[in-house]
Amino acid sequence: MAISQAVKKAVTLAPTVRTLPSGVPVAPLLNLAARPAHHDDHGHGGAGPRVDTPPRWSSGVSRTSSGLVSKTFTTISPSLYQPHRLLHTSVAVKEAPEVPDFSHYRANNNESHRALSYFMVGGLGVLSASVAKSSVSEFLQTMAASADVLALAKVEVDLTSIPEGKNVIIKWRGKPVFIRHRTPDEIQEARTIDWKTLRDPQPDEARVKKPEWLVMLGVCTHLGCVPIGEAGDFGGWFCPCHGSHYDISGRIRKGPAPLNLDVPQYEFNEVDGKLVVG
Amino acid sequence: MLSRLSAGALKRAASVGPTRASTLISSSRSGSVRFASTNSSAAFENLANSRATLAGLSLFTAGSIAWYTHLYGTFPFVGEVHAGHLSDEGLHPASYPWPHSGILDTFDHASIRRGYQVYREVCAACHSLDRIAWRNLVGVSHTADEARVMAEEVEYTDGPNAEGEMFQRPGKLADYMPPPYPNEEAARAGNAGALPPDLSLIVKARHGAADYVFSLLTGYMDPPAGVEIREGMNYNPYFPGGAISMARVLFDGLVEYEDGTPATTSQMAKDVVTFLSWAAEPEHDERKKYGIKAVILFSSLTLISLYIKRFKWTSIKNRKIFYNPPVDKTH
Amino acid sequence: MSLSTAVYQTFFKRNSIFVSTVFAGAFAFGVGFDLGVTAFYDRWNAGKQWKDIRHKYVQE
Repeated sequence: MAISQAVKKAVTLAPTVRTLPSGVPVAPLLNLAARPAHHDDHGHGGAGPRVDTPPRWSSGVSRTSSGLVSKTFTTISPSLYQPHRLLHTSVAVKEAPEVPDFSHYRANNNESHRALSYFMVGGLGVLSASVAKSSVSEFLQTMAASADVLALAKVEVDLTSIPEGKNVIIKWRGKPVFIRHRTPDEIQEARTIDWKTLRDPQPDEARVKKPEWLVMLGVCTHLGCVPIGEAGDFGGWFCPCHGSHYDISGRIRKGPAPLNLDVPQYEFNEVDGKLVVG
Repeated sequence: MLSRLSAGALKRAASVGPTRASTLISSSRSGSVRFASTNSSAAFENLANSRATLAGLSLFTAGSIAWYTHLYGTFPFVGEVHAGHLSDEGLHPASYPWPHSGILDTFDHASIRRGYQVYREVCAACHSLDRIAWRNLVGVSHTADEARVMAEEVEYTDGPNAEGEMFQRPGKLADYMPPPYPNEEAARAGNAGALPPDLSLIVKARHGAADYVFSLLTGYMDPPAGVEIREGMNYNPYFPGGAISMARVLFDGLVEYEDGTPATTSQMAKDVVTFLSWAAEPEHDERKKYGIKAVILFSSLTLISLYIKRFKWTSIKNRKIFYNPPVDKTH
Repeated sequence: MSLSTAVYQTFFKRNSIFVSTVFAGAFAFGVGFDLGVTAFYDRWNAGKQWKDIRHKYVQE
């Protein structure tokens, strides 16, 4: 027992840090006054100045009430500092090495050579920019709708089969499209009312290309039900879901729908008497 | 690396056994630098060991092998080994000068138009063309109006309608070419058990491509003596195995071309193969145009890059480094 | 002032001008190169493409 304790004592190292009796090490404050010891031979044979303390002339770390403050002076008093050149980077002229003759490698015409080199770099820039632009736009184009999808995007309707005063519903891009061959009375009715007072003001002229052909999406602008034709209080369409009434131009008159029935893109194929929607 | 190898290797080859010992002895005796690439003054050894000799011999060997192979189609000395009969792979078709052969050449679209007519009147009775729609012909071989008219002649099943029933309607541009048979079983039943393949990709799907299909269509002949063809099959040397289910279908004057071209067998075969080549590769014309642009641009970029690299590297490549050994001051 | 110096001073000296020239040049090159290659391609394949034969079939 005693032997082991003695061995332990012999092997155990004493702490190098001064500790309080409780065992907590004491960290002394930074000694800002520490300066290298001045040797009599003024550093020529000695170890040299201490490197971790900055010289007083360039900056100073000082203790203030708010903590340590470091201040670096950008200008120094000339009397304080006598620079010593420690590294010789310039060679005395008389010791200049023999620079070999590079005239054989130099360009004949400096200016045209310079212009040519800049032109080459510029040319690389132009071609690369052109190739990059083409690559990006081509790759993006592949994300556009494919030809087979686009082919189904349009629908043709034979108008000669629709008599006056009749509604026709066709399917286009998965949605119903109302086509009505309006009578002159209906056109008159659509145009005589004061459209500016409507919830969604739109004159009938702006909603049709030809007055006798009313083409619009059969989707109620409230919540998407399909309105019933030749129904409602305004001689147009009536949506049974929430009671929206549309007039003979497809404009909302009564009920919760906010907007008039949407008019898709369409055009008339005069030659064949057909309507092309989409 | 190769130069070091060649010098050493040829040295060993040039100097046989006994002389090797003498060479080693002579080098140590003369006190010259060890492992020198040449330590002999013999002119012949210099010639034999040179890099130029090695390069020349290699080139000659490789060149003569390549020349023989090009002439006779097989490697020299190795000979030909076949697991089966040559007829198993079919007679190799000749290379025909198609108008669209070159890297800059487009299809002959007039030929595509005639070829469509041949397909429609002759081939469509048995072969489907599932991947081609009427709209694909527009701007290639027919106008939109012509294509629309042709589409409308065909009835397509569509639906369901508002009553939930399927109905028939005339075709439109978005529809695909109608198949001759509703399913594979019907196709086999109508062709003595053989399935006429879909032709939309046939030119890409066969070795020999357009040359093969053309040679096949024009290659029907009597089987050579001793070759037995089963009843119901037809002999065609280009078809792998030699016996094909399809009989010859192209005969002179079978089709009347609307542009007045005389419809000989080979003319019809050429046109229909051009049409099928287009069907398999509709992007062909645009692809070649892009190819021209790409090759010009990338080779220009390469040349400019080479110039710029050399320009930026001049200082490094032309620098001179002098070494002045330390002067021995002790003496 | 030689041509090289004139070109250098106007286009290559200031980098902002250089970059702008490159972008404008790329735009012009893109358009011009496409036109040039298309013209060559059409000349090389004269009579073979659809645009060369469509006049026979189109009804105006």
